[in-house]
Amino acid sequence: MSDGKRLLLGLLLWTGVLSALHLKLNFDWSAVVNDRLPENQRRLNVAYIPVTCHLTCPVTDYISRFSASGNIFIPKMFQGFPEIKEALIANKMQAGFMVAPMAMALQSQGVPIRIVYLGHRYGSAVVVHKAGPVKTFPDLKGRVIAIPSRFSDERLIVFRALKKYGMKPSDLKMVEMAPPDVAGALAAKAVDAFSMGEPYPSQAEIFGFGKVLFHARELWPDYMSCVLVVRTDMIENRPEAVQTLVDGVARSGHWLEKGRPEREHAADFVARFYYNQDPRLLRWALTNPLDRVMYTPLTPFKPDFDLVRDLMIETGVLEKKIEFSDYVDIRFAEGAKIKTAWNYTIGSQHAE
Amino acid sequence: MKEFYKKLRMTFPRKLLPFSAIAVLIVLWHISIARSDSSILPGPWAVVLGIAELAQKGLLLKYIVASLFRVTWGYLLAASLGIPFGLLLGWYQRGEKAFNPIIQILRPISPLAWIPIAILWFGVGDSAAIYLIFLASFLPLTVTAMNAVRNIPAVNLNAGRNFGLSEGQVITRILYPAVAPYLIVGLRITLGIAWLVVVAAEMIAVNSGLGFLIIDARNAGNRYDLVVAGMVMIGLLGIVLDIGMRNLEKMKSIRWGYGGN
Repeated sequence: MSDGKRLLLGLLLWTGVLSALHLKLNFDWSAVVNDRLPENQRRLNVAYIPVTCHLTCPVTDYISRFSASGNIFIPKMFQGFPEIKEALIANKMQAGFMVAPMAMALQSQGVPIRIVYLGHRYGSAVVVHKAGPVKTFPDLKGRVIAIPSRFSDERLIVFRALKKYGMKPSDLKMVEMAPPDVAGALAAKAVDAFSMGEPYPSQAEIFGFGKVLFHARELWPDYMSCVLVVRTDMIENRPEAVQTLVDGVARSGHWLEKGRPEREHAADFVARFYYNQDPRLLRWALTNPLDRVMYTPLTPFKPDFDLVRDLMIETGVLEKKIEFSDYVDIRFAEGAKIKTAWNYTIGSQHAE
Repeated sequence: MKEFYKKLRMTFPRKLLPFSAIAVLIVLWHISIARSDSSILPGPWAVVLGIAELAQKGLLLKYIVASLFRVTWGYLLAASLGIPFGLLLGWYQRGEKAFNPIIQILRPISPLAWIPIAILWFGVGDSAAIYLIFLASFLPLTVTAMNAVRNIPAVNLNAGRNFGLSEGQVITRILYPAVAPYLIVGLRITLGIAWLVVVAAEMIAVNSGLGFLIIDARNAGNRYDLVVAGMVMIGLLGIVLDIGMRNLEKMKSIRWGYGGN
């Protein structure tokens, strides 16, 4: 056999075997089947990242699979908000969880999305070195603090703290950093503090190098960070599918608030089957104390969003005033108000 | 002392030199971790255990297959389109004059800068990653093929034509043997670029692969052993791919281009 033929045969064999293995080991066939269904029967693709702010997404997916109707959407894990934004714009995702200021900014820039529900309340904190010199917020003067994004509520918390203590924005050096890197950066003393959502404050506490300087709720009583957004074409064309999604998230929120066993169980299955994290981390974030992150009430309230909007304008990430009704569609949250917790017993294979 | 070094040089087998350098690096790594007060950075043994854990869970094979799958398809698509396109541009000077400026403008743009566009066009999944690898490989291969044709001495082509070779025969008997050694070098270098890009693309656009392993381990809390395990596997597979490409250089029709080696 000539060299050329041997090479061609080898390439065909290599490509064929790799493709077959990839299709068997890595391919998500349920998503492919879903994409082939008529549009009105398709389940929504919902984007999330592995943080406690988005916990209701995997919890809803996990519990709903035991219900008579089965999984009510297809969850897709992302690694960052910019990619979620792009996937939503491209209609590869029809819904997703993201930080509220980013959702508001995107809507004001003409991206066809609406906020339909909240992801959580509370669950963000400013963390400093455990044995470091920073004991109070003013001690951070002249130091470096990491934030997840300029479009994040965690950044706005820092601005609120600056205002409370009579400090100027220039008194701190804020750096944007991917959330998974902040705990390591704090441990390596590359930053003096970080303002992040859970489970990163918990991570710093568990591994002993960080301590919470203050939780967001201490400065912002009704603090909310991540929200559930849906593409407007879905809202117009398939409102029933959007309502099912919001109902599922609402029921998961109520279920998570039932008590410690539910939270510990959620930490276990979400860490193992969705986030691929050490369950200790989520367990700490969800139970230390139990109201560290809350999953009710998740109905969007106008005063909360007005506050976020005004802070965004004040801190230069929103150019014009936008109205609550322009970026929030409240009808799905109203529809979900009558919903109660999933009737799901831990360890059972049945949910209603 | 000089005698000792001389004896050491004589007795130390040449083939062990690369392994000894690796061993020294591992020992230095171990010592620096043991002496540091950081509980975050993993030592070599923790990384070995991390790789074993990944293998035990079946993730190692899954992620290696995913990365190789994307590289294979992106790279082969680029080679099957980029090389003929480059050969054409090299053969027909008007084509080169027309396309060269745009190639030179696009070439310095990092394939990673295309990530947002790739997600907008293809969403998150294999297609976006394959597209990025295609982009990373297509232009270097086109330029390699174009230059390979341009470097064929005119005297060879003229001699062939004077001996009455048809255009087809000039291509198969002069052009192909002349460009093959250049193409193999280009293919080797480009495969290295493709491997760099797949890892970066998997950190953003997909949910499997060695790049995903690194970003996923970052998300998993204090699992920097898995981050470094991913880095080690990327390096090892990179070597395996390079060795595979080097074997192509041993093909009879290519070997003439490498002198006595």
